[in-house]
Amino acid sequence: MSLPDLVLKILLDAFWSGIAAVGFAVLFNVPRNLLVGCLLTGALGHAARALLMNFGLSIEWGTLIGATIVGICAKWLANRTNSPSAIFGIAGGIPMVPGVFAYRAMISVLSIATATDPDISMTLLVEASTNAIKTALILAAIAIGIAAPTLLFQRPKPVA
Amino acid sequence: MASRPLDTIEQVDLIERRRHYGKTSEDVPSVKPPLSYEELRDVIDLSLMAGQLLLQHGADTQKVEETIHRLGTDLGCDWLDILVSPNAIIITATSGAEFRTKVRRVSSLGVNMSIVTEVIRLRRRVTKGEVDRHELRVELKRIAATHSHYNRWVVVFMVGLACAAFSRLFGAEWPSFFVTFFASAAAMFVRQELNRRRFNLFLVIIVTAFVAGIVASIAPRFQIDSQPTLALASAVLLLVPGVPLINAAEDMIKGHFVTGVVRGITGGITALCIALGLLLAMALMGVRGL
Repeated sequence: MSLPDLVLKILLDAFWSGIAAVGFAVLFNVPRNLLVGCLLTGALGHAARALLMNFGLSIEWGTLIGATIVGICAKWLANRTNSPSAIFGIAGGIPMVPGVFAYRAMISVLSIATATDPDISMTLLVEASTNAIKTALILAAIAIGIAAPTLLFQRPKPVA
Repeated sequence: MASRPLDTIEQVDLIERRRHYGKTSEDVPSVKPPLSYEELRDVIDLSLMAGQLLLQHGADTQKVEETIHRLGTDLGCDWLDILVSPNAIIITATSGAEFRTKVRRVSSLGVNMSIVTEVIRLRRRVTKGEVDRHELRVELKRIAATHSHYNRWVVVFMVGLACAAFSRLFGAEWPSFFVTFFASAAAMFVRQELNRRRFNLFLVIIVTAFVAGIVASIAPRFQIDSQPTLALASAVLLLVPGVPLINAAEDMIKGHFVTGVVRGITGGITALCIALGLLLAMALMGVRGL
């Protein structure tokens, strides 16, 4: 993929994931003046992940790095706007949440019940566990990334 | 002089507890005037109210604990022992030799970031000493009574747009984009109506996923573009329990396993309900291959 194509692809990714983040922020009743921050973290995190995946990184590692960027931005925005960083962290994490993996896993599990051929059951079982493991790993990556600034820099100090 | 040994025991106890929780010494100034039994009741009630608001509206467990602890100590307690469980908060507040305990039942009311923001800001103002106990009670009651400040049609439109944006991220073409938009917007409307009538949480999810599935099935049914099943996959994303799932993972990272596991299972059952509704719609519309 040539460079202008890549830039366009990442910019489009940022645009649509920003819209998705704002849409969910409205659903979660985020105050109006903080919506811009949600747009920023949502776009930045998902676009960073798309860029890294474009260079061949797996979705799990890409999510971890994207979510870390979201976590750092969330802390910065929270300090600027005097609001909890969880707002920007969650809004930025939402576009990366593996929703499709999650319910695909469940659809496969449910389909096992009605499958007649053992071979098909086997395929469904493998599909279900693959999707479930991907869901769990991506979720863990999002949470670790968002919490990274806290985990690294806000450790409890020992009492003298 | 009779109370002397008791004071010493309390003091040692306090130092031990600080060590145990790894709190900084700034959290607990060593000398504080002891609160009366009535004042203690007020403080514990207010901290519990703030904690309840946070837990009900989607804050993570660490935030709930920290806020309760800071609020209680800023209002004059020496120490608060807090137990946050998924559906209740238990607090013991200590001041001098006195202590009181209170339990409050908490039920999840859905994510509301405005309430979380306002409670956190209020806590910061209490720390600065700008708000006293009476003002705090008035403010907390006001926050608890606030409703969503977005018009319900704005929410329907934005949620539809968000799911349609997801379909573009997955690589859908424009016809599927618009089908997704209408399917999710219709589903969001149904969800609002059912929630207002206080139907069972999981029933609402199944029915909403079913509605989204029926409308989105138009795309694969009439083969409106080259990847019509993407509309079906994106239209139900409004139901994905993103906040409980992220909070579940974050709780577990920070060592709050009970709330983490419960939130994770809630998220899993929600995903199962989405799959049920979607499968039902696909079977009815005769659509295969998601």
